[in-house]
Amino acid sequence: MAENKICILPCNGLDKSLGVIARQVALKVIEKNPKIELICPVLLNTGEDNYENLIKSSKLILIDGCMTRCATKLAEKRDSKIIMKILIPDMSKKFKIKPCKTLTLDEQNEKLVDLISDLVVEELNKFEEKKVSVSREIEKLDYFDITIDKYYFRVPKVGYFFNENDCWIKSEAKKALVGITDYLQNAASDILFVDLPDIGKEIEQFDDVGSFESSKTVLQLISPGSGKIIAVNKDLRDHPEYVNQDPYGKGWFIELELKNFEEDKELLMDGPNYFEYMKNKIMKEKNHLYQLKSEKNV
Amino acid sequence: MSQNYDADKETFMSVPRKKIPWWPTIDYNKCNFCMECNKFCPHNVFAKTNDEKKKLIIQNPYNCVVFCRACAKTCAPDALSFPDKREITNLIKKLRAET
Repeated sequence: MAENKICILPCNGLDKSLGVIARQVALKVIEKNPKIELICPVLLNTGEDNYENLIKSSKLILIDGCMTRCATKLAEKRDSKIIMKILIPDMSKKFKIKPCKTLTLDEQNEKLVDLISDLVVEELNKFEEKKVSVSREIEKLDYFDITIDKYYFRVPKVGYFFNENDCWIKSEAKKALVGITDYLQNAASDILFVDLPDIGKEIEQFDDVGSFESSKTVLQLISPGSGKIIAVNKDLRDHPEYVNQDPYGKGWFIELELKNFEEDKELLMDGPNYFEYMKNKIMKEKNHLYQLKSEKNV
Repeated sequence: MSQNYDADKETFMSVPRKKIPWWPTIDYNKCNFCMECNKFCPHNVFAKTNDEKKKLIIQNPYNCVVFCRACAKTCAPDALSFPDKREITNLIKKLRAET
């Protein structure tokens, strides 16, 4: 069935080695798992019917060579379902192999292609195993709210604590859920993909514990609390839009077993304080943009 | 969210931003001047120069968002590093206690 088909879309940026690696990874992945179908980004960009239909009905693995993120942009335009995203610079660091300067890959870069393609195939197997959702009940919340221009911002009045990186933590006994605020989801706009950390990892306060991506940008979740990651919100793999729709509820990212929340709280804000902080931040940005526009018009 | 505020007035966790030494350091032995970090950062932390040996510099260090390391994700040669997060957290706590 088309819904079960998995496709891979590389950026194919042939003007730098990062793009060449992205292309080679895609080719290697389909060699290792022939059930995965390759989508040519160039042909897709021409609006070729078969690809247009395929991309809308399949699950998608994206391989981007650089931060221009051409594959992501092609996928985003088509409202496709992204299940995995690979960024070659990230992989280059992970496997400690630098991309070569030439457009013909050297032995080391061929090895990098092999390692990344192995990882894609392994992650895909894990993804298929990890379908069970881990939903958490969030009670109905009472919010502070404000509309500025076309944006609507909410902040829960009680129960949540915030850092100045616009992430929240909600504790219950020794556990806590962590996510991003309405401010950050508005800044990102439509979130296409959420990269979640491994369960079991010990983290410190202010560690980055995941990233999320829109066509506009890539942003990080910086944890307001310390502890051990005991669960991740697997629903976000299929529904990254939950982060936009319900950032304080269904859009949670990780669950922590808290280490020392009383100490963590010393550097966090409660709802009323964060709401004031957020409003000031938005107004400063608005004024700054206004100033830039005025300077342009002078 | 382009930002280039007056750094003198900015604070982070009630501490003057200029007292917090958080920004990326470029390792010029590793950097290949691909400029991916510069293209990525919305806060104008980096700038291009005409210096052949240092085509990229940290122009506005205090524009860098404390604890953000997102630019490092874009750097394939792993040329960007950040201060020790725990040390910075302790420094913030100390400065907050002083005020």
